[in-house]
Amino acid sequence: MQPANDSQQEFESLALPLLDALYNFARWLSHDQSEAEDLVQETFAKALRGFSSFAPGTDFRAWMFRILRNTFLTSRTGLQAKLTVPLDPDEEAAAGVTWETPETLAVASATREALQQALSELPLAYREVVLLCDVEEMKYAEIAEVLSVPIGTVMSRLARGRKLLRQMLASQRPAVIRKVDGRR
Amino acid sequence: MSCREWQDRLQGYVDAEMPPQEMEAFRAHVAHCPDCASAALSLMEAKGALRRAGRRYEASPELRARVIATVRQAGSDEAAGKLRPSSSRVIAWPRWAMAAAAVLLLAAGLFFFADRSQRPNSLAEFADLHVATLASANPVEVVSTDRHTVKPWFQGRIPFTFDLPELQGSPFTLDGGRVAYFHQEPGAHLIFSYQKHMISAFIFRDSPQLGIAQASFSNRGTSFNLQTWTQGGLRYVLVSDVNAATLQNLAALLQQHP
Repeated sequence: MQPANDSQQEFESLALPLLDALYNFARWLSHDQSEAEDLVQETFAKALRGFSSFAPGTDFRAWMFRILRNTFLTSRTGLQAKLTVPLDPDEEAAAGVTWETPETLAVASATREALQQALSELPLAYREVVLLCDVEEMKYAEIAEVLSVPIGTVMSRLARGRKLLRQMLASQRPAVIRKVDGRR
Repeated sequence: MSCREWQDRLQGYVDAEMPPQEMEAFRAHVAHCPDCASAALSLMEAKGALRRAGRRYEASPELRARVIATVRQAGSDEAAGKLRPSSSRVIAWPRWAMAAAAVLLLAAGLFFFADRSQRPNSLAEFADLHVATLASANPVEVVSTDRHTVKPWFQGRIPFTFDLPELQGSPFTLDGGRVAYFHQEPGAHLIFSYQKHMISAFIFRDSPQLGIAQASFSNRGTSFNLQTWTQGGLRYVLVSDVNAATLQNLAALLQQHP
């Protein structure tokens, strides 16, 4: 192509390997193929424009995911999702939510389809944190950077999101193995 | 700690975010607590199931082409000066400065670095990774002095395997390892100790992306010594505050196992 400049080439070599992961995340956020594609394209364009402000040595992946997420949140679907799903006001109270084995087994033994269904129904604030942690395998600090929230909030949202997932999946299973009365 | 307290901390365990001392204590606890052991196992399985289910979509070839076109178009607009100068690193430099820099490069015979991917500061970035890891509360993800524990832990986490030497009888001990990312590429970060010093050994697939021009190199930095070489397609980088000779000894041990 044209005489591309160095920073653009550097950007390409860093950003293109993230394309699939960013697209996957965008699809899970927006639930729509063409919207996800537009989001990814816009993310790349914004990121390249802002690349001169990206500090080398800091986390490029978190930076790209943050741009993608912010782009999504200002999109129509994103605004709706934010409005319709108020975050649990008492987030911190959710920290240290304990698991219950039968529920956890419901997740581990659920079919791929059931898991995908549950994940897509998870409120946005929990869906994104579970995706970043379990699918992207980001560290808590990295997730905190993507979401621009403290690490404690990452941990409590994660705990709560996972609990919601477990409950959603466990409720699909026969009542016999469901545990309704809390922990032993 | 009671089971109840451990269960509240299990999330940190399955996410590999538990501090090493706590990890040791937890391992000791699960050794004789089947309840906590099965809880940890089922949570790990749940995490794995979610990971597989969550990797659902891939960018289509059309999207890939579109994105590449967007980036290259924007890049060439920028090179052609169509964007505001302040938004570009390249044209923010006056022409005379670029010319002066080019002359300096020529004078120094640095054609070697002409390939932009060979960033000379890559090695400094390894030093940063070393410092950042030592400063973190959780420097290692797998805590073990046993090479037969550490090596298999990396399986499936990094896209290659490597061998670890027997350290018995040497002044070095293996403290553990973690997955490190360098220019988006996963690799192994092993932490050794020598007396009270920590030594980081980074192992990555060798590629121009790593940006290390030298086939092998050692450097007496201002605060860190650094040693790097390639071996079997892998790039090894040792970083530590120990003296260069000690670093060389560890390098020699690692090199015995191609």
